[in-house]
Amino acid sequence: MKAADFIYHRATGVAEALRYMEDYDGEARLLAGGQSLMPMLNMRLWRPAALIDINALSELAEVTAQGEETHLGALVRHATLETSPLIAARLPLLATMVRFIGDHQIRRRGTIGGSLVQGDPASEMPLGCLVLGAEINAVGPAGARMIAIEDFYDGAYATALEADELLTEIRFAVHPPHFAFHELCRRHNDFAVLSVAATGHFSADGGWHGLRIGLGGVNDRPVLAEASMALLEGSSLSDADIAAAGEAALGAIDPPSDIRGSAEYRAHLVPRYIAKALRDLRLSAQG
Amino acid sequence: MSAVAAQRSLIGASLPRKEDDRLLRGDGCFTDDVQSAHQLEMAVGRCPFPHAEIRGLDVSPALALAGVEHILTGADVRALSAPLTVLRPVPGAPELPYYALAGERAIHEGQPVVSVVATSRALAEDALELIDIDYEPLPHVTDTLQALAEDAPVLHPGVLDSNLLARHEDRAGVPEERMAEADIVVGERFRINRVTAMAMEGRGVVARWRPGARQLSVYASTQTPHLLRHQLAESLRLDEGCIRVAASDVGGGFGQKLGIYPEDLLAALHAMALGRPVKWIEDRLEYFRASTHAREAVFDFAIGARTDGEISAITNRYTTDLGAWNSSFGSAQLSSVVFTGPYKLADAVAERRVAVTNKTPIGAYRGYGQPEVNFAREVLIDRLARRLGLDALEFRERNMLRPEDLPWKTPSGAVYDSGDYVKTLRMAGEAVGYAAHRAAPRRADGDGRLKGIGFASFVERTGYASARFLANRGSIFGAHESVTLRANRSGDIDLYTGVSTFGQGSETAFAQICAEILAVDYESIHVHAGDTASSPLNTGAFASRTLIAAAGAIREAADELRGKALRIAAWVLETAPEALEVSGQVVRLRDDHSRSLALSDIFTRAIIGQGIPPEETPGLEASAHYAPDEAAFSFGTAAAVVAADPESGEFSVDRLVMVHDCGTAVNPLLVEGQVLGGLVQGLGAALSEDLIYDPDTGQLVSGSMLDYFMPTAADVPPIELLHSEIPSPVTSFGERGVGEVGTIPPAAALANALCDALSEFGVELSRLPLTPESVWRALKNAKGANP
Repeated sequence: MKAADFIYHRATGVAEALRYMEDYDGEARLLAGGQSLMPMLNMRLWRPAALIDINALSELAEVTAQGEETHLGALVRHATLETSPLIAARLPLLATMVRFIGDHQIRRRGTIGGSLVQGDPASEMPLGCLVLGAEINAVGPAGARMIAIEDFYDGAYATALEADELLTEIRFAVHPPHFAFHELCRRHNDFAVLSVAATGHFSADGGWHGLRIGLGGVNDRPVLAEASMALLEGSSLSDADIAAAGEAALGAIDPPSDIRGSAEYRAHLVPRYIAKALRDLRLSAQG
Repeated sequence: MSAVAAQRSLIGASLPRKEDDRLLRGDGCFTDDVQSAHQLEMAVGRCPFPHAEIRGLDVSPALALAGVEHILTGADVRALSAPLTVLRPVPGAPELPYYALAGERAIHEGQPVVSVVATSRALAEDALELIDIDYEPLPHVTDTLQALAEDAPVLHPGVLDSNLLARHEDRAGVPEERMAEADIVVGERFRINRVTAMAMEGRGVVARWRPGARQLSVYASTQTPHLLRHQLAESLRLDEGCIRVAASDVGGGFGQKLGIYPEDLLAALHAMALGRPVKWIEDRLEYFRASTHAREAVFDFAIGARTDGEISAITNRYTTDLGAWNSSFGSAQLSSVVFTGPYKLADAVAERRVAVTNKTPIGAYRGYGQPEVNFAREVLIDRLARRLGLDALEFRERNMLRPEDLPWKTPSGAVYDSGDYVKTLRMAGEAVGYAAHRAAPRRADGDGRLKGIGFASFVERTGYASARFLANRGSIFGAHESVTLRANRSGDIDLYTGVSTFGQGSETAFAQICAEILAVDYESIHVHAGDTASSPLNTGAFASRTLIAAAGAIREAADELRGKALRIAAWVLETAPEALEVSGQVVRLRDDHSRSLALSDIFTRAIIGQGIPPEETPGLEASAHYAPDEAAFSFGTAAAVVAADPESGEFSVDRLVMVHDCGTAVNPLLVEGQVLGGLVQGLGAALSEDLIYDPDTGQLVSGSMLDYFMPTAADVPPIELLHSEIPSPVTSFGERGVGEVGTIPPAAALANALCDALSEFGVELSRLPLTPESVWRALKNAKGANP
């Protein structure tokens, strides 16, 4: 399939990109890595009024340490997350998860901003950002605003961004010391049947604090297993704690039945995958 | 021949592939690399429904679009051409009419309905969007068995009363009586998934018509240039002499690129109407609906045995899904031929039913019925062993044919030529440490996974028994291959073959055999493949038969050419031909190497007819056609080692061992490539690939690379190949076919390994693919049945 005709603009700055978006009344699409957009264009499933290429916006491609915070520009490529020493040191969960995205070619082009805006319920970056409690900076005609990742998704492939807003940056607070990630795929680095990411602090008293457990692929957006998190506060992550947390997570899910797996199977796997991640955390604290 | 057989220096050598240099440099010439001046591009509009009446179709807005040059509809195609023909019809079945474009009714999603030619593909696709087609959806049926129910819509009402295209039975002895007498019978319904070959290059065609010359040139991605030429001539009602078909590099065949497809004919019709070259390149989304699917079948398979472990009868009643139409090769036929496998029994029956459904037509695919029936039989062999309390390996060994039993006429009438089946079974068992596994206590690993080992043995038919056999089955091709060898004045040999190059390495293997017989350098053989204008008429590359048949043709042609070259050289050197030998690029006296003549000198004399013996005619070339007397039967055993989680059904494939015998290996490197490639396709079909149709909408729901789980390189488990090399007595050099073997045993070996790992739960598996979820469901069923 070949794309239908489209108008193409290459923006040279954020302001110019915003102007183009305004010109097309929100009917244009931004082109970043293009890993989801281009197939949709070629299949003629999307027919934007125009494409606004933001790849020349080098100010959006930066990884910066701002005190304790780490800021990622929307155009930071997956391959950068995979190889940057700064990311390895400051956002190791993302550095781990990014290797589960597609293949080398996809990771060379794909961007974290594109992945967040695409909003696939099974994809890695939205889940990683959720578990790390990221904040998203969006710029529109009325100026900039910060959106908490917990408020970013309205559903599958649907975000809180307005049609004339541009995601420019993702900000992360200091990364918890312990983290774990597991996912099940039908083939290597395919879209996840389900995925689990977890982070936490282990204190000298032998208890775990501030645990965050996120689940991908089992709802219309990545979700936190909040009941499980509450249950585990201060616990030692004993086998019994872990089993109880796995069961408690079932309240947070509403899994789909699709070609990758039935809802029933996904629900069966959720406690098992949570257990895998929590056992990893326990092990990480021991090591 | 005797002198040749004694040398054996090139046959058996892992020479580098002739094809690789150009392919690795990006210098291959695939269909889309063919660029012509004034070329136009074609796009095909396809039916979005599984079954629909086409009430009207208005092409005028599309024709008005600037850059659109020509449009064909179903009515045009009926006026200009005959229905597509079939190479391998179902014996006894009526012809199902199928034109290049649907007429008043379309019978599967993806069936071509309208075809547009424009100055670019994008523009042609724009034009398709402007064509308003008035479809009235009709009741459809996509399930193989439901298609045979009384209330199913009949898809070819003018020809058939139901969707049962044919029913055929092959039997020997009294299987029903033996089954009734058996101490134990295991039977099961097995469901084989619908899959597709997924060549890297999809199909494609470039057609050019020169009206003044009445010459149609067709470049196509095909395994059968000469057969495609014949089929084009039939449908276009043109003389074959007006058509040239050329396939340069073909990016994968696997049986899917046998014979004509609608788009081949459409490109030719457009080109003839316009007098301009027309190109069509299949894109991957089209591919999922436009190129033949494969395998889908339902088997009711049963094995009867005595308590002492002797198999007494096999019944194999199965229904293959044809899809909507009988494509050039139709649905697989070999599930009726090798269904008793390597086992010794006299009483067996195979009943084959062919069902028509509203789905993409089924065609040939690597294995052609053999992987399907191997899954049913070998899974039941293990189940029977478990019920009898016998070891799966010992049970197989006990029932296997011994070398001294061969040649053996099977219940299907096939004749196994030679082999040592037990040897491959033992080799597989040793390779995976089966004895130690049997003796060790069952203990889960650190992840709670249980280890299992499973085996699958097979006998594979390669090549065809004879042209007579094919004639009895209504096939419109022979069992032979052909070659033309032509000496050139550089002292090299041009080898012309109708076998196109699609990754199988035939250029390499042909050159090896030719160089061996002529005793010339391998580098001096130039292979020109796949062009009907230059190659002798042949059959084509399929059924693991190319080398089996071509080797004999190359030998005969090379002997003839060599004989004449030596006679000329002997005349010049004033000696007898018997006193001469070829060495590299010279002919010399055996006893006096200083007296020699360059091949370029001899070849030049012959070609220009100057300085040759008076009784010799000018020219130095030879053609030969050769058909082996019998099919050759490859054989072997695969073993899989898995670790399975009894809670989640998740599993890993830790090892896959393949022991196989393809007789004399002309080039072990090619053999390894063929077996590995087949194994990976077999693994894909066994573990993940599945073309699923929604029963309510009749739509293909896994019709893109997003949802069709073809394995990637990272998914391939460790594979070990072990070779046995027992020459076949029925072929020129003792070779057996090797192209398809890898697809046959993986599914059964994996299922048996999973059942072994989960044996304490009584898990039984009977449908493909084997996914973590399907294993989990089997576990749930088993736990429910045996709480």
